[in-house]
Amino acid sequence: MLKLENVESGYDFLQVLWDVSFHVDKGEFVALIGPNGAGKTTTLRTIAGMLKPRAGSVLFKDRNIAGVPAYKISRSGISYVSEELNLFTNMTVRENLLMGAYYVPDKRKQHETLDFTYRIFPRLKEREDQLAGTMSGGERKMLAIARGVMANPELLLVDEPSLGLAPNTTMGVFEALLELRKTGVTILLVEQNVHLTLDVTDRAYVIESGRIVMSGASKEMKQDPHVQSAYLGI
Amino acid sequence: MAPSAKRNNTWALLGASPAGKGVVLFSLLLAVMIGFTNGAGSLFNVLVTGGMWALLAVGLALVFGVMNIPTFAHGESFMVGAYVGFYVFNPMQNYLLDHPNPTLMLLAPLLACLGATLAGAVLGVLTERLAVAPLRRRTKEGWIMNTFLLTAGISFIMINGATIVMGANFKGIPRYYDFHPVEILGIRMSVDRLVALGIAVLIIAALVWFMKWTRTGRAIRAVSQDEMGAQMVGINLNFIHTLTYALATAMAAAAGAALLFMFQAYPTVGHDPNYYAWFVIMLVGFGNIYGAVVGGFIVALLQAATQTYIGIQWADVVPTAVMILILILVPSGIFGSVVKGVHEQS
Repeated sequence: MLKLENVESGYDFLQVLWDVSFHVDKGEFVALIGPNGAGKTTTLRTIAGMLKPRAGSVLFKDRNIAGVPAYKISRSGISYVSEELNLFTNMTVRENLLMGAYYVPDKRKQHETLDFTYRIFPRLKEREDQLAGTMSGGERKMLAIARGVMANPELLLVDEPSLGLAPNTTMGVFEALLELRKTGVTILLVEQNVHLTLDVTDRAYVIESGRIVMSGASKEMKQDPHVQSAYLGI
Repeated sequence: MAPSAKRNNTWALLGASPAGKGVVLFSLLLAVMIGFTNGAGSLFNVLVTGGMWALLAVGLALVFGVMNIPTFAHGESFMVGAYVGFYVFNPMQNYLLDHPNPTLMLLAPLLACLGATLAGAVLGVLTERLAVAPLRRRTKEGWIMNTFLLTAGISFIMINGATIVMGANFKGIPRYYDFHPVEILGIRMSVDRLVALGIAVLIIAALVWFMKWTRTGRAIRAVSQDEMGAQMVGINLNFIHTLTYALATAMAAAAGAALLFMFQAYPTVGHDPNYYAWFVIMLVGFGNIYGAVVGGFIVALLQAATQTYIGIQWADVVPTAVMILILILVPSGIFGSVVKGVHEQS
C-alpha cells in the first residue's frame, strides 16, 4: 500500500533523510524505530505531505504522492497524527472529532464514524464537551489519534504516541491502536519506546542517521543483539 | 480541573477578565449618562458609529486571528468601498432626478453597498493572492513585522493611487434617502443612519452565523487555532486564507459605502476608521471576534462621552490616552487575546 523508494528529504537548511526505502502492506502494523534525530518524524512528515522530498518517490497505492500538498494527502486516505498533536485547543472534544471528518461528505457517515470512534476511545465520550486544551496529556493523545481515525483513513501514521505518557496510559493508547488495526486500518508507527512497540507490531524498520539500517519481523528484531544493546538496554 | 473547562456563558465567550467586566459595566453607565445629558438621539448615533467600528474591527480581528497579519491597509478597503458606493449611487441618483421611480429610490443605496462589498471582496482576493501568499511561501520568519510593513506599503500605494486616478477631491452625497427622520420610541432617527446600522447588524449577524454553523466557517476557526492541524484534517489553507482576507476587506468596504453620506469618498478617508478599528482591537484583545463587536460600541461610546463632557477638540486625544493605558495595564486586551494553539512539544 505504501512504498518509499530512495527518499531524500529534510528542511531548508538541513537534509535529514539520505536514502529511505521501505514498504507497508495493507492491513499491516509496522514500526519505524530509531534514535532521536534519526529522521523518524521527517519520514512521516514527508509521507503526509508536510515536506516535499528532494529525491525518491513516495508511492501510495501505486501513485506517487511526493510533493502533493498535505491537505490533499489527508483527503486521499492517509491520516497523520503528529507528535505535537496539533489539536484545536479552543474546540471541544466532539468538535475536534467532527473536524477530523471535515472531508467526509455525508453527515450520517460522520456520526457513524463518531460512534465507532467513541467505542474505541470511551474516555473521549465522557469528556465530549470539554475543551481540548484543558485535557491531560494522555487524553489529548487519544483525541489526536481519534481525530485521525474520524477521516476513515486507509493508512494511519502515528508519531510517538507514547512520548511523555505514563506506562498505563501508553498501554491504553497501544490497545486502541490494536483495536483499530482489527478493523482493517493499516498503521505505520514511529516510536522511541521500542520494547512495547516490538510487542504489538508485525514488522519493524530501524532508521539511523537518515537511512534504514535494519528490517524484519518484530519478534525477530527483539532478539537481535544490535537492537537489544542500542534500543532495549540489554 | 480548570474552572473554564466548559464554555457556557456569554462572559466566557467574550473571554472577559475582571477588567473586561468592569469596562463593559462602566460603558453601560456612560451610555446612561450620555442619554440623560444629550437625549436618546445621541445614543442612537453612538449605536450607528459603534456598529461601523464593530464591522471594521471584526474584519481586523479575523485577519489577525486567522492569518496573524496586523493589517494597516484596512482603512483603504473602507476607502474603496466609499468610492465604489459613490460611483454606483451617483449615476442612479442623477437618473432618478429626471425619472422618479420609488423602487429604484429604495434600492439604489443598497445596490451601492452591495457593489462596494463585492468590490471589497475582489480587492481582498487580489491583495492576498498577489502580495500576501507569495510572502507566506517565501518565509514565515519575522512574519508580524513583514506583514505589517507589507500592508502599510499597500496602504501607501492605494492612497496615492486613488489620488492619481480619482483626484484628491471629496466625492460625496448629501444623503442616501430623501425621507424625513423616522421617530421610534420618541427618538428621531435619520433614515440613512438607520439603514447603515441595519446593514452593520445584518453583516455581523451573517458572519457570526457563518463562522458558527457552516463547514467553511468551522474551517476558518480551525485554521485560526492550529494551521498544521487544519491541514491534517484536509483543509486547504490557501483557500481559507484568501477567503478570510476577502471577508475582512468586503466588510470594510461595505462600511465605507454605508457611511458615504457621513464620510464621503476621498483618498485618505480610511485613515480615521483604520485608527479606530485598531483601537478597538487593542482594547479587546487580538483575534477576539465577539470582543471586537462589543468593543466597537464601547469605543463609539468613549468618543461620544469625550465630545459631550470634555470637548470635541479632545475627540482623538482621550481615546488615544485610554489606548496607552490599556497597553500598559492590560496589554492582552480586556477580553483577552485569542492566540493560536499551544504545541505539545516545541
